[in-house]
Amino acid sequence: MTVTSHDNVPTTVLDGAVKDYSRDKVYVLTALFLGVVTLVEIATYAFPDFPVWADELVVPVLMILMAVKFFTIVYVFMHLKFDKPILTKLFYMGLVLAVLVYIAMLSTFRIWYHGHHG
Amino acid sequence: MAESLTSRPTLAAADAQQANAHIDADTNTGISNTKLGMWLFLASECLLFGGLITTYLLYKHPLEGPTPHEIFDIPFTSTSSFVLLMSSLTMVLAVSAIERGEHQRMRVWIGATAVLGATFIAGQIYEFTVFVREGLGFTTSRFSSAFYTLTGFHGIHVTIGIIMLVSLVLLSLRGKIPEHRAETVEIVGLYWHFVDVVWVVIFAVVYLIPS
Repeated sequence: MTVTSHDNVPTTVLDGAVKDYSRDKVYVLTALFLGVVTLVEIATYAFPDFPVWADELVVPVLMILMAVKFFTIVYVFMHLKFDKPILTKLFYMGLVLAVLVYIAMLSTFRIWYHGHHG
Repeated sequence: MAESLTSRPTLAAADAQQANAHIDADTNTGISNTKLGMWLFLASECLLFGGLITTYLLYKHPLEGPTPHEIFDIPFTSTSSFVLLMSSLTMVLAVSAIERGEHQRMRVWIGATAVLGATFIAGQIYEFTVFVREGLGFTTSRFSSAFYTLTGFHGIHVTIGIIMLVSLVLLSLRGKIPEHRAETVEIVGLYWHFVDVVWVVIFAVVYLIPS
């Protein structure tokens, strides 16, 4: 028998039903990982001459670190990893649309052009 | 409805059988309309914040007034970012607690999330106050307008999130969030994590990437 979210299940029946299985450890480890990535991000500011992100490398390095944090939170904390695929598609629909629209907009305003902006 | 504990699918059982660990709702998609609505809302929020971030990128070189890297206090903002990041952990632990039927623990985690969120907002108010004192008002330059609009909109989202968290605690204290309605906590959690995700982008793009 399938339990649906609309069923009026007494609290006492469900109490402790998932107690033996917890993702808490995964969540704590994920937070630690995110903390470390954030420290690396801050290090790009504190130690700008470090070879890994020196000069023009800093922008791609920061973008990669940002993307890692973004997708880690979305997949683990927001449960996309565990949830129905349609939710992933739905979210990516908005995200990809936003990225494409605003890349087009930035290109229109010649944001990638390194010359003098008047 | 009389249902034995053993017949209820647990997270462990669901995980073992398929990628979807959530119990199906009685809809065509198997997802409750509320949750689907929240995800649609978050997808649309990508467009809102995308627009604000794009505007900031276009206007980040001020023609007058202080420049971003003259006024930004990166160590302070890094601390605020870390606080908001950790609030995502407390939020997800709250969701986990209610799924296990641990109401008291859920309230503690949600309370901690609200406190961390409030700390972040207090930091943002302090930061704005310092910037204004240093001569960066909302209309000082195109950079300042874009900066305050972007970070201010984010701050408003965090504030709304705090209100939702406090409401959850009050509802829980009144016994209106039993385990079978744990999804309510999860949906508020989705909003909170999204606010955190947006800050991840803002922190890198606005504060850390050099001009």
